[in-house]
Amino acid sequence: MRTHVAEPWIEAPLQAFVDDASALFALLLHPNGQVMGQFGFTRAVDVMAACALAAAIHASAGELGRELDGKPFREMYHAGRDRQIFIGDVPTTHHRFVFLTVFDAESSLGLVRIYFEELCALLENAQPPLLVEAPISAASLEHDLNRNLAILFGRAPRGADGGESSISLA
Amino acid sequence: MSASPFEGVLSLLIRQRGVQGCLVVGEADGIVVDSNVQVGIQSNVVAALAAALYRKARLCSAAAGLSTVGFLQLEAERGHICAIGRDGLVLVTLAEPRAHIGRIRGAMIESLSVLA
Repeated sequence: MRTHVAEPWIEAPLQAFVDDASALFALLLHPNGQVMGQFGFTRAVDVMAACALAAAIHASAGELGRELDGKPFREMYHAGRDRQIFIGDVPTTHHRFVFLTVFDAESSLGLVRIYFEELCALLENAQPPLLVEAPISAASLEHDLNRNLAILFGRAPRGADGGESSISLA
Repeated sequence: MSASPFEGVLSLLIRQRGVQGCLVVGEADGIVVDSNVQVGIQSNVVAALAAALYRKARLCSAAAGLSTVGFLQLEAERGHICAIGRDGLVLVTLAEPRAHIGRIRGAMIESLSVLA
């Protein structure tokens, strides 16, 4: 099973993480909930829901961390009965992402943390230069959210160069 | 702040000739519980991978009908990784090629009761 990405430079780092960490699900998203890449999901509605929840959890935890510790919590982990979830902040020079992964007993938190660090480093090295810096409006946000979902699930073509940058940073 | 219950075991192991580091690691999560390692060793990385290796070996041994894993030794070009586990904890030792594995093995087996 392969990863599906909205931008080609994300594919190799995300696939490396999934292969090395034996993750069941992986999701890379913009903090506003816009999906950038995914592994393991089969329905667009599940990706949309997971992105919305992950973005909300990330934002809430960030504020909670600022209140309690003076800085946002960078990583979160929850162990369920069979599956475990890890959410981490991916800061790169030009972009900021949120990463969510679900794994089971085939992997471990220690392994996920190692390969998450590697993922951050690979994304830092792979990122293209920042070209577009557009303000976010309600209309453009919804357009970007839907566009990336459509690309991931094969309902929309990428740009002529294999993937235009859809990241708009305020 | 009280000392870790593993401090004695780790200081005993680290004093063995050629030992570069020793760690007590959670088998399920691969997180370091306590460690005593030389500078430059990435203890978090070693811990996670060694715990995963030990867990797979334990499962493999059980699947093959060989019962529990007594002592796991990985021999590499530039050293050894030894692991022994009990009750969800794994004691991991990193050693140079010149290290006396027999002594390390003995010390690790003697230390097993501390992991319980």
